[in-house]
Amino acid sequence: MTRHLLAGVFLVGLLLSATASEAPQQMKPFVRGSWQDVLRSHAGRPTLVHFWGVTCGPCKVELPLLGKFMTDHAGIDVVTISADLVPDLPGATRSMLEKAGLWPAENWTFSDGFVERLRFEIDPAWQGDIPRTILISRDGTMTTIEGSAEMKELEKWSDQQLAVKR
Amino acid sequence: MIDRLNRGNKAMLRTGLLGTIAFALSLTAAPAQMNHQHASEAACDESVLRCASKVTPTFAPDGTLWLAWMAGGQVSVASSKDGGHSFSAPVQATKEHLNLDWGPDARPKIVVDRKGGIALAFSVFRDKAFNGQVLTTRSTDGGKSFDALRPITSSNESQRFEALGLDPDGSVFAAWLDKRNRVPAEQSGQKYDGAGLFFASSKDGGATYSEARLASDNTCECCRLGLAFAAPGHPVVVFRNIFDGGVRDHAIVTFADPATPGEVRRVSKDDWQIAACPHHGPSLAISATGTYHVTWYTNGKARKGLFYDRSQDEGRTFSDPIPVGRADRNPTRPYILAGPRGMTMVWKEFDGEKTTVNLMTSRDDGQSWSKPTAVAATTDTSDHPLLVSDGQNTFLSWMTKADGYRIQPIGDGS
Repeated sequence: MTRHLLAGVFLVGLLLSATASEAPQQMKPFVRGSWQDVLRSHAGRPTLVHFWGVTCGPCKVELPLLGKFMTDHAGIDVVTISADLVPDLPGATRSMLEKAGLWPAENWTFSDGFVERLRFEIDPAWQGDIPRTILISRDGTMTTIEGSAEMKELEKWSDQQLAVKR
Repeated sequence: MIDRLNRGNKAMLRTGLLGTIAFALSLTAAPAQMNHQHASEAACDESVLRCASKVTPTFAPDGTLWLAWMAGGQVSVASSKDGGHSFSAPVQATKEHLNLDWGPDARPKIVVDRKGGIALAFSVFRDKAFNGQVLTTRSTDGGKSFDALRPITSSNESQRFEALGLDPDGSVFAAWLDKRNRVPAEQSGQKYDGAGLFFASSKDGGATYSEARLASDNTCECCRLGLAFAAPGHPVVVFRNIFDGGVRDHAIVTFADPATPGEVRRVSKDDWQIAACPHHGPSLAISATGTYHVTWYTNGKARKGLFYDRSQDEGRTFSDPIPVGRADRNPTRPYILAGPRGMTMVWKEFDGEKTTVNLMTSRDDGQSWSKPTAVAATTDTSDHPLLVSDGQNTFLSWMTKADGYRIQPIGDGS
């Protein structure tokens, strides 16, 4: 009886772990307070946060470059935040991230209709222009890049961050 | 202050009661539904005014207030004979649920001509790549019914951000941003930035439009246009251009006639060099003196924030830009109107919790402005504030998610 119970627990455990590993990754809903969650969860790690949107022309050009950057820089945490309010179109958002090679990143999407408040929490001066990238250093220093980022600039920042000992 | 919520509010209350019962019966479905509503810019999913995310007003020559709005995937209209106290039953100009352009600077456009004919234009996303299409329709029976939707141009390349205006000569003038020139440029191996500013006009009240023509190529592709008329047959369009080096500053073009764009002139040298979509277009008004009044947003090296300037020589030269709004309150979405008693300007400010609409007026054609005053507020998301005049008074038109639609007479600043 005990043996059966243990076996059952083991089987359930196996099933659960298999489910967890195979579960499709989802976009995280970015709501009030999410920005502080992002900052907390990446504290002490060099992190690139990229704001983009599905209808933004320059974003379509930049996303694949960021996907390659992420592949080439395993030591940098990459977070994307779709700052378009995309009504009922999570598929389009996911499709663009997948094509750009960014689906394995930590991906968020604005999920509060009051976008002014979401933007205000991130940067009170931000009016919603995208793309926009915030580079967060190990020491928490934030550098904002308005518009498409120059990959050379990202490389330089990355090299500096990875050269700093943990 | 008139603060009118339309019949959709009653529908909302009823839905609310039913919703309570549904909530008790289906607890599992509730979080998704609530999250959806919370995430939306609209208060509800129906096509009624209360559920609108964007509402555009205009006064007909006979003094009737008309609204066009997008809600529930439809574009609808309604009218008011009493300045917005009550509205006629809404009429849907669209038959099918459409993927309407939900960009921050998109909205349906409406003009009503002297015969009472109504012309509408709006954008939809026509494919999964978010390529746009500008659709038009008109009503010749006082808004009881609308013709089948027609594309404004036969081109199948992306079009968005249309502007529609009733030329004092009686025709309807349209301008929009169009990506058709991207294809030949890329085929010949050339980089193509932005979009073209295209235009057309209609002499039959918006039933058909002339062949689309280019006014200026490589303009910024994601901001609304400002449109006004310097005189009959002389439309003027202000737009965010892409100047050399990727500088997205504003430019203006005055048409010699509805088919002939004039020289593109620079409104200001803000030096906003950015490869991005600002989603934040300008506003233009032309007063009876012929003065051009422009207000816009920039984040340039030379200046940052909202600004206003004026030109008394058809855009050849502009005054020094003056800042608008409180820099520490994130001023956005400026709109300017030449009204019967002078100039009026509104914009939004946000303090971290609450959005206010601020207003200032000028009685000397924009040379000096009154101290700004807050005239409306809301604590959830809201449409851009707009101004509209019936020829005697000026009104603020503002759609908010929390408080519904309001059409609010404003003072003359005296």
